[in-house]
Amino acid sequence: MVLSRFWYVLLGLVLGLSVFLLSIATSMYNRAGARAMGEALSSDSQVVAWYLRDDARQRSGRLIQFGVDPDIAKYLQKSSDSEAKVPEEAREKLLAALKKVNNSIPKDEQFDAVFAVDQAGRVVAHLGYEQASGLSDFELGGYPVVADALRGYVRDDTLILDRIYRVVARPVEFDMGALPAGAIIGARIVDDRFARELSSRTGAAIAFYANGDRASSGAPEGFAVGNLDQIVGDMASLEQDPEYKEKGRSKVRTIGGMLGVQYSRLPGEAWQLGGGFAVARLPVAVDGLFGFFKTADDKDKQQANLPIAILVAVIAAAIGMVFSVLEHTRPIAIFKNEAQRLAKGETDQLQPSRFRGVFRKIASDLNDGMDQVLAKGGGPRRGPADMKQVLGNIPDQPQMSAFSFPGDPASMPTPSSGQAPRSVPNAPANPKLPRPPVRPGTPAAGLDSTMSSEDSSAARRLPSPPTRGGADQSAAAELAEWHAVFQDFVSLKQQCGESTDGFSYEKFELTLKKKNEELLTRHGAKRVKFSVYVKEGKAALKASPIMD
Amino acid sequence: MGRSKRRPIRLLWLKPARRQRREERTKPAHWSDSALPLSRALDYRDAAMNACHNPPGSSRTVGLRRRSWPLLLVAGLIALPSSADAARVKGRFEGFRALQNPVWAEAKDPKNHGYSFREPVPTVRAEFRRPFPHIPKELCIAAIAAGPQKAQPPVLIRVGGGRTTPVTLVVTPGTRLTFQNTDPFKHKLFGVGIKTFAPGDTGPGATRDWSVPGPGVFEIRDEAAPSLRMWIVSEPNLAQAAYPSMKGEFSLNVQEPGDYVLQAYFAGKKVGPATPVTVAAADVELKVPVKVNDNSAAADDKAKASDSATEPKEGAK
Repeated sequence: MVLSRFWYVLLGLVLGLSVFLLSIATSMYNRAGARAMGEALSSDSQVVAWYLRDDARQRSGRLIQFGVDPDIAKYLQKSSDSEAKVPEEAREKLLAALKKVNNSIPKDEQFDAVFAVDQAGRVVAHLGYEQASGLSDFELGGYPVVADALRGYVRDDTLILDRIYRVVARPVEFDMGALPAGAIIGARIVDDRFARELSSRTGAAIAFYANGDRASSGAPEGFAVGNLDQIVGDMASLEQDPEYKEKGRSKVRTIGGMLGVQYSRLPGEAWQLGGGFAVARLPVAVDGLFGFFKTADDKDKQQANLPIAILVAVIAAAIGMVFSVLEHTRPIAIFKNEAQRLAKGETDQLQPSRFRGVFRKIASDLNDGMDQVLAKGGGPRRGPADMKQVLGNIPDQPQMSAFSFPGDPASMPTPSSGQAPRSVPNAPANPKLPRPPVRPGTPAAGLDSTMSSEDSSAARRLPSPPTRGGADQSAAAELAEWHAVFQDFVSLKQQCGESTDGFSYEKFELTLKKKNEELLTRHGAKRVKFSVYVKEGKAALKASPIMD
Repeated sequence: MGRSKRRPIRLLWLKPARRQRREERTKPAHWSDSALPLSRALDYRDAAMNACHNPPGSSRTVGLRRRSWPLLLVAGLIALPSSADAARVKGRFEGFRALQNPVWAEAKDPKNHGYSFREPVPTVRAEFRRPFPHIPKELCIAAIAAGPQKAQPPVLIRVGGGRTTPVTLVVTPGTRLTFQNTDPFKHKLFGVGIKTFAPGDTGPGATRDWSVPGPGVFEIRDEAAPSLRMWIVSEPNLAQAAYPSMKGEFSLNVQEPGDYVLQAYFAGKKVGPATPVTVAAADVELKVPVKVNDNSAAADDKAKASDSATEPKEGAK
């Protein structure tokens, strides 16, 4: 079993090592995933910021189309010249001009709202901002982005009004030598549509927030937008992030142990108002040793070297099986065969040289044990010496151990019939019991008068005991007595309803001889007298040493 | 600019009682309950105040326009006696383009992250490319009397478009101010360091009242709009205040003859020299323009240098 044990230990070590390596791999994988997520989030954040700036620049170029429209410049100048009130004609003409120019812009590049502002900051006409419809004194002149445009700058801004707006503005000139006639302002609403568009172009899950709440969000396929709602609870502690406070971009933060988020402030007025955007990603991580199975996709599984894994498993199993056969199955089979041969009597003892290892020792011990038992005269389980086999069903209390000595009534077994043990050929006291068979050579008149003719015939049918020619007289008498005891015993067994199949005189005689010798030796008696009696409903044999 | 160009002041406190009751029944809840007569001492030009913001075409506005001529005639007749002795002090500001709106000046600093790009348009002349103020709302000329003046009637201030109208206001202590939100979204005004003017929401069209507690300069800001900053100068001896036109021309309607000092205020501070003027029965026209920036030339040069130095960098954040 050394090889098997070595193999088990080896397999245990390999299994432990595998678990250890898996744990390390899981940790490394998760760490690498977290690092990659952080880098990806920083990249996402920058890409979104670049996109916002680039989008604003491109859209500011679209404002040129408004600026060069003659009607827009003309009527803005007219409104600027009218310090007291915006002329109605200017409003109407400008609105028509705004619609005309806006319709000439490709739909995906159009603004959500366009404002034409005169030099006083008053909104002369606007498109797409229905909230201000009907407000005659609606103006935008206080916002720095508008003021800059009215003073010759093109720039962007992010305003938080009723919602978040990305705004670009540029001046509209009528007379090159004078102040700009006004400015044209284009705005995009930062709503879910804008966020989705941004997400589809940058590949980032993005949420815009303002006033401590999520304003809009968009996420690529496979990312649940609902995850972005978690930023609301996280934003309370955002202002404590020094990097966010100073640089406008937070470190990568993990919300709920899973969602990685990086916050960035939006440029413009929104910067001061706490407006910004958050990019989010879910980390690529495994949640345990077997998490790889859940995380791996079909491509990963295809790239795994399954044949080698199967081969290793088969080889390991085969080695284990070989060791098991060599050290367990085969020795046991050999031992079994040898034991069967021993049982059949083909061999007298086990041959330790045919065994290996512990089986050799077992065989040797068994041989020693058998020798010890034989030296003691055999045990109750040693084949021919088994009294049970000899005498049939005998009670647990061995009858042969029940000796009676003359003058020792305490050692006398009490017959079940209540009568004293009788000498052969006494019949049982119970008249219902069958009579013992008639002893051969004994006249029928010597039998109990109560024995029926059937019993007598049955006794006569029993096999005759062998006779020995040339033996001395006492031995012949003893044999004759044993024959009689045999017949009495058989008869009594039949009366007690016990089976006599396979019960031969030869075995009976062998047992009596053995017991006779034993008792003679033990007690120094002259001879031993055997008698039969009924004990607990069964036939029993009693040996009585005769001392005189 | 002549008187005919001025926006007519609506004397809403002269409304007939029956008409007033009807309007009270029909007006929206967010309208101010306070009567908002314009102070005769103030002339905000295009920023002239309305009692309440009314979209054009609304029944109230239409009603006023249809029936306003008799009303205005009566109002004019009432107003005439009080202004019969008044005299106009006319003048002109000079150098106001050297002033810088502090909000816009801060906003152009790239350190404030106010934009991701800001580039000058080459076709606009460089002299215009600086954050000079919109003086009809930001530059206030005040006639200061020798002694304390009586408290002025309530003043309406419009809040909208990223600023207030006016931006700088000179009033006597105790004057009640009514801030009316003219934007379609809410504002959250508060007084800087003023306990009696804590941040509070003012919804679209709604008003908020506050009385100037005493002499001094008070700054009002908006938590919802960083660009909104207003300065209130409380001057006990204020007799009259007015705002110039885009060209810098102003006209003060002084009620009582006497000696006054003309002082310009910008962003809550005095700008330019104090100009003594004696008002009699006749109008007074200042021969010398009021220079709101004595070192305007130097400021111009400095501003140009500043612009030229910062412009190339502004686009690249």
